Amino acid sequence: MMLNLMAKGMIEVKAVLKRDFFLYFLLLLPMAYIFIFKYAPIYGVLMAFQDYNIFEGIGGSEWVGFDVFNFIFHQDSFYRALQNTLVLNLLDLAAGFPAPIILAILLNELRYARFKKVTQTILYLPHFLSWVIIGGMVYLMFSSGGMANSVLSRFGLGNIDFLSQKTNWLIMYTAVGVWQSVGWGTIIYLASIIGINKDLYEASDMDGCSRLRKIWHITLPGIKPTIMMLLILQIGRMVSIGFDRPFVMGNSLVSDYSDVISTYVYRIGIGSGDFSQATAVGLFQSVVGLIFLAAANYGAKKIGEQGIW
Amino acid sequence: MNKKRMTVLLPVLTLLAGALAGCGGNDSANEAQSTSPAASTSNAGAAPSGAPVTLTVEVFDRGIQGQPDLNNNTWTRYINDNFGKQNNAIVKFVPVPRSQEIDKLNVLMAANEAPDISFTYDSATVSRYAKMNGIMPLDDLLDKYGKDLTNYLGEKVLSYGVFDGKQVAIPAKRTSLAWIGMFIRKDWLDELGMPIPTTRDELYNTLVAFRDKNPGHVDGVIPWGLAATGMNYGTGNLAESFWGEQSEEDFVTTPNWLKPGNKDALKFLNKLYNEKLISPDFALDKTAKQADADVTNGKVGFFSANWDYPLRQNISEPLKENVPDANFVPIDTFKNYEGKYKKIAYNENGVNVFIPKSSKNAELAIKYLNWMSNPDVLFFLQYGKEGVNHKMVDGIPQVINQTGDNMQTSYLNLDYTLVVNGVELGDPEKNIKALAATAPGLKAVAEQSYKINTTDTYTGFFYDTPNESNIKFGKTLGDMSNQMTDKLIVCKPSEFDSLYDKLVAEYMAAGGKAVMDENVKIYEAMQANK
Repeated sequence: MMLNLMAKGMIEVKAVLKRDFFLYFLLLLPMAYIFIFKYAPIYGVLMAFQDYNIFEGIGGSEWVGFDVFNFIFHQDSFYRALQNTLVLNLLDLAAGFPAPIILAILLNELRYARFKKVTQTILYLPHFLSWVIIGGMVYLMFSSGGMANSVLSRFGLGNIDFLSQKTNWLIMYTAVGVWQSVGWGTIIYLASIIGINKDLYEASDMDGCSRLRKIWHITLPGIKPTIMMLLILQIGRMVSIGFDRPFVMGNSLVSDYSDVISTYVYRIGIGSGDFSQATAVGLFQSVVGLIFLAAANYGAKKIGEQGIW
Repeated sequence: MNKKRMTVLLPVLTLLAGALAGCGGNDSANEAQSTSPAASTSNAGAAPSGAPVTLTVEVFDRGIQGQPDLNNNTWTRYINDNFGKQNNAIVKFVPVPRSQEIDKLNVLMAANEAPDISFTYDSATVSRYAKMNGIMPLDDLLDKYGKDLTNYLGEKVLSYGVFDGKQVAIPAKRTSLAWIGMFIRKDWLDELGMPIPTTRDELYNTLVAFRDKNPGHVDGVIPWGLAATGMNYGTGNLAESFWGEQSEEDFVTTPNWLKPGNKDALKFLNKLYNEKLISPDFALDKTAKQADADVTNGKVGFFSANWDYPLRQNISEPLKENVPDANFVPIDTFKNYEGKYKKIAYNENGVNVFIPKSSKNAELAIKYLNWMSNPDVLFFLQYGKEGVNHKMVDGIPQVINQTGDNMQTSYLNLDYTLVVNGVELGDPEKNIKALAATAPGLKAVAEQSYKINTTDTYTGFFYDTPNESNIKFGKTLGDMSNQMTDKLIVCKPSEFDSLYDKLVAEYMAAGGKAVMDENVKIYEAMQANK
């Protein structure tokens, strides 16, 4: 009986494979990519438990158990990097997360199609700039001899240390981040707004709803699942942070704020050549990220939203 | 409190996950390990005939405006025509950005892709590689293929490349020992009718006059040009002028941060910065590009950098074009309690050249360096062709600055001539004369700067045993020091004292103390063995 069922199952699988052979075939490439670049390197986490010798490799290095972690968790600089990572990400969450939603709604309300298209294109542009270039632009515009300060001093407002004073730097960091990513971020929301049933808007027109009402009662609830999903993903990334942005924008005067996990790993791993420590910090970061993600997902389900699994 | 508990919990979870992840990967790692030595031995005995061998050589990419292709220019072609062809080899240069030298080298070494001839100015990095057994020991190779090289460098220079009794690096011979220099705009002083400052206080008054009277009539005068610490620009021997008396042991073993008077030195800089006498955004100038621009645009009155900085082509040429009257002269202005202008100078060794263990061309690499120690070769690489790159005046070659293919991207091509740092004409007296002639039209400045910056000098202490803590923490401490300097210069004067103490305490906790203690141990052992 059992065997019979299994045989039947096999036949079905075969039939499905045969029918959609090309679809599965197409899937091979992305799967190979994920395997080679995402799974295969995982064996490298072994370095975190070794006194890793770059010339001996993982096979030849001495196993030291948790010594490396023990060392890291006694370093003040590690806690500072962790704290900064959380702070900068929280700022990004607070400012950078709602921004594309608001912008998407505003874009959606634009009537003149051509203007809308042009605006969108301009808004996407910064996304394609490398952080190194953005960093140079920020330096040119906001350093003490830069454009912003010369305008300010023309109006007698004096110089502002945009990039070297700590609080100002945090604001600049967040603002530049929003500027860079907000346009790109709208794409997914705009797509989801288009998916909202037009009948709802027509019905509300009949009832004499104002624009704001429509946004509040139709558009926003319509894209709520998308918002929740992106929020969960963003929270999952809470402890991981891109390297380029803090590295390029940071400087020695604000290193108390700009030194984050990614730059810490860079400094320890690439700069000092201590790959064990760098790997251990990276592993720690992944595990904490996983916990955040799971927690956010759990929370979302609790309040009746769809999670990501 | 809660946050604390959280940070304790997280590591534990990390470990659990890590342990699980650890189980699977071991086999594949061993496999990779066992195959690699076999591969390297089969290729080791490359025959001199047949397909040419590619010898890779590191070269600094200094990102100089208008520089030629670092792998295809007059100099690389000369090397390939005169060494490559004879040895059936192609010499290929691997550019490494100057400002990220060690970062890049670490990556190349870890990937077993470091050039056959690699180098670094940081001897702690060499010790680290040697300790990990990643560098080729060179004693036998030098005996067999490096006779000329050994003779040229001499025992003393070579001794700087010995680690645990083995020759792991080949230090270049340094023919000019001056390190830092300080320069002031003489034309500005003349305009103001002021003399050349000879003490700290006089310099201070001069800088104030530069700020208030703007003798160069420029938009945005910068009395003292500076960039983020760790790049070319610095504060010269200002700190030395504040340091008090110390025994030799204390002097060589303590970090500068703990030297008596060091705090006052930073405080002086802090005062200058807050009185707007120093480049306002120096700390943001992470590549020193802004400082270079300010100097060459004639906005800077005083600066400190390498002793030959204003002689360098990338400074002297644009400055001459932008501000024809600008005249930077070398000065000695930081006098200490003994009435001396104490400053650091180089030991006789330069860059540390080494051959990574992964290299398959060690023999050829030594032959290459051996070939390079030939006086004729060195002369061409430093001075090029007569009439093109230099002209002879009284038997002393004088450099003619070139652009494009013939351009030298570093002072006398020192990035290509790895066995020597400084002029090499085979005679110290000639060297110094030639040195002064390296900068066309700036002979007097060069001569004077060399003289000033080889007076009252001390050199870095050479420990015969590598300092393990320094290998481990050296780079971090170096970065930290740079950041500390920047922060202390910029902070509010009222916060200075507490910030200094706090940062120094952090520095000592982050490895500074460990390095110092080990220094003391090694120093005492050396004294006992004397």
